[in-house]
Amino acid sequence: MKRKLIAAVGVAGMMVGLAACGNGDDDKAKADAGPKEITVWVMDGSAPKAWIDEVNKEFSAKHPGVTVKVEEQKWTGIQEKVTTALSENTPPDVLELGNTQTAGYAVTGGLADLTKEKAQLGADAWQKSMLASAEVDGKLYSAPWYAANRVVIYDKKAFAKAGVTPPTTRDEWVAGLEKLKAADPATQPIYLPGQSWYVLAGLIWDEGGDLAVKDGAKWKGGLGTPQAGAAMEFYKKIQSYSTAPKDKDEANPQQSTDIVPKGGVASWIGLGWEAGGAEKALKEAGKEADFGYFPIPGKTADKTSTVFLGGSNLAVAERSKNKELAKEWLALAAGKDQMTKYAAETKGALLPNQAAANFTPAAGSFAEAMGKAGVNGKITPVTAGWANVETEPNPIKEFMTKVLKGEDAAKAGADADAEIAKRINK
Amino acid sequence: MTVHSQGAVTSAPQDAPPKSAGLPETPAPATGPGARPPRGGGKSLPTGWLPYLLVAPAVLALATLLLYPLIKNVILSLQDINKVEFIQRKYPFAGFDNYTELLGDPDFWTVVVRSFAFTLANVALIMVLGSLIGILLNKLGKKMRLVLSMALVMAWAMPIVASVQVFRWLFDEQFGVMNWVMRTAGFSGYEQHNWMETGLSTMVIVTILVVWGSIPFVALNMYAGLTTVGAELYEAARMDGANGWQTFWKIVFPNLKPFFLITTFLEVIWVFKAFTQVYAMNKGGPDRASEILPVFAYVEGQSQAHYGLAAAISVLTIVILVIVMSFYFRLILKQEEEQ
Repeated sequence: MKRKLIAAVGVAGMMVGLAACGNGDDDKAKADAGPKEITVWVMDGSAPKAWIDEVNKEFSAKHPGVTVKVEEQKWTGIQEKVTTALSENTPPDVLELGNTQTAGYAVTGGLADLTKEKAQLGADAWQKSMLASAEVDGKLYSAPWYAANRVVIYDKKAFAKAGVTPPTTRDEWVAGLEKLKAADPATQPIYLPGQSWYVLAGLIWDEGGDLAVKDGAKWKGGLGTPQAGAAMEFYKKIQSYSTAPKDKDEANPQQSTDIVPKGGVASWIGLGWEAGGAEKALKEAGKEADFGYFPIPGKTADKTSTVFLGGSNLAVAERSKNKELAKEWLALAAGKDQMTKYAAETKGALLPNQAAANFTPAAGSFAEAMGKAGVNGKITPVTAGWANVETEPNPIKEFMTKVLKGEDAAKAGADADAEIAKRINK
Repeated sequence: MTVHSQGAVTSAPQDAPPKSAGLPETPAPATGPGARPPRGGGKSLPTGWLPYLLVAPAVLALATLLLYPLIKNVILSLQDINKVEFIQRKYPFAGFDNYTELLGDPDFWTVVVRSFAFTLANVALIMVLGSLIGILLNKLGKKMRLVLSMALVMAWAMPIVASVQVFRWLFDEQFGVMNWVMRTAGFSGYEQHNWMETGLSTMVIVTILVVWGSIPFVALNMYAGLTTVGAELYEAARMDGANGWQTFWKIVFPNLKPFFLITTFLEVIWVFKAFTQVYAMNKGGPDRASEILPVFAYVEGQSQAHYGLAAAISVLTIVILVIVMSFYFRLILKQEEEQ
């Protein structure tokens, strides 16, 4: 009898275990809060509170009784979250999508087709470069919102102490890092984690290569090429001045709030909201931020390095229960008036979707350096499969870590290319 | 097993006093081999629909919580569902495509081998260390036993994700305590040592965590089991001149064999599906080198959005576990027959 009981316990234990294995996607049916509310998903660092509050106020004034619920999302793991949300009956009505990921969602049918609303949205005024990521096969699936690119953020005091001025060429940059290292061994000349793949992308473009290229009807990875190898070699050189982990990216640990405020970092590569976050964190720690900014130097002084033009689009979910309201909110937020305010609110650190809304940045500001660097901006391959490449575990990041640890770039690149080809053509 | 169930069946009519009130008092001779006195004394077991009604809530709960997801999972594993199909709610039937793809994928087999090695190492460590601490608990005085029990319960009560986070901080590359300890102890090369540099080193850290977290269960159970071993047995062993080692193998082990069996197999199940610890530690990385089967299923399913494929992985995981567990059930049944 005792044995039977034991056997039963064993069976029960196994069953419970197995049920846990089958990780189903249960519908998290949200309570329907009535038709008079729309939900907007924005990403961490995208929407300054003062700005979005004002957008919502204006929207509510036009549509009495309609409230707007803004939910801020983290970039980490966002793709899984958005995929699940789009499959549900009550997705967020408006959602922000990274410009590299928009095409991937457009082909799933989860986003509303906005081609007919082009006039309502004021599409004619949009920057052509930003529009590219919002369209698939001539159909519009989202409104460009903002773009941004990375620049080098440096501690003015540390640079002055070492007698280094902002460099204009790669050679000057390396020489400066060398000087910084000599001036203060306890400080890392630059904080550059091993998996900052957006930085690498710019270097690859500088060499004339690309992350992936079209090969007939299919795509293939471009990391096994000599161009990517040369880019990685330079990345490795710069990274050697950093004590940052080789197997982490810039967001984990969060460089702006977890690393820089601790001190001991003379420079780092980041976005506007990261610079802002670091300033705030430093202030909270009782320190004064004194940042300067310069574009990532190019090979020659006449052209700064190509940079990844990050950015976001705003889309409407196909299954939204309030599609018309969502489109109107979108038109308002992405329209000229609000975009002008947006650019001003972010002090130009995020480039608005139309030139007319541009903010003239102050001299020496992040935005000024970003504007200079952004001239040579590029985005990741615009194809539906690209989003699959970016999801973790990201083969580009694994490639970088391997090369930084001494593996041959051509071999590691070929491995990564095989994985990229597998994912991008899906 | 048969012995018991037959005994129960034959005893039921004998024990129904209201019906048998008018019958002669001598019970009818037992028909089956279960010719022993009916259990339960004079109380009768309910008959008719009542037993089914009583058991219904449990069956219903099990069916909805376990059986239904299980069936859904099997169906999902036969469909080709990726991101596009998922959002469009299409369910194209794919036959055994997911399974053939997996079985032909060398990565899958690497993960299977890794899962087995991980389970084996963990269960062995847990059982040995847990048993030793259990014996220690039995030998300790009242106060120290209380202190140790409390420490064990606290370790066991620690939420998994929280403990993984603490371990991640301990082994952090830049600000971790372990690197500081090694440096302070005078070892060189721990300025920025990456404890999770390779899949193996990551698995070792996960193993420490899992073993640490599982020892309390084994130790406390072992202690409970030891209290049932009569003192006279130890005394007899001592009289015969047995040393500690002999006492353990000749007295404790045979007495607690059922305990060792059940705990070992429970640990096998738990470790085999230790998703949380492995995933939260390093997301199956670096370069997917610390993925065990459940993590593999999650990464393929959630991160890569191959839902059908992930379901097939979990079904294969079930099959593998059932095969492993079948040895256990055979053992139990065999013992039952021997009796």
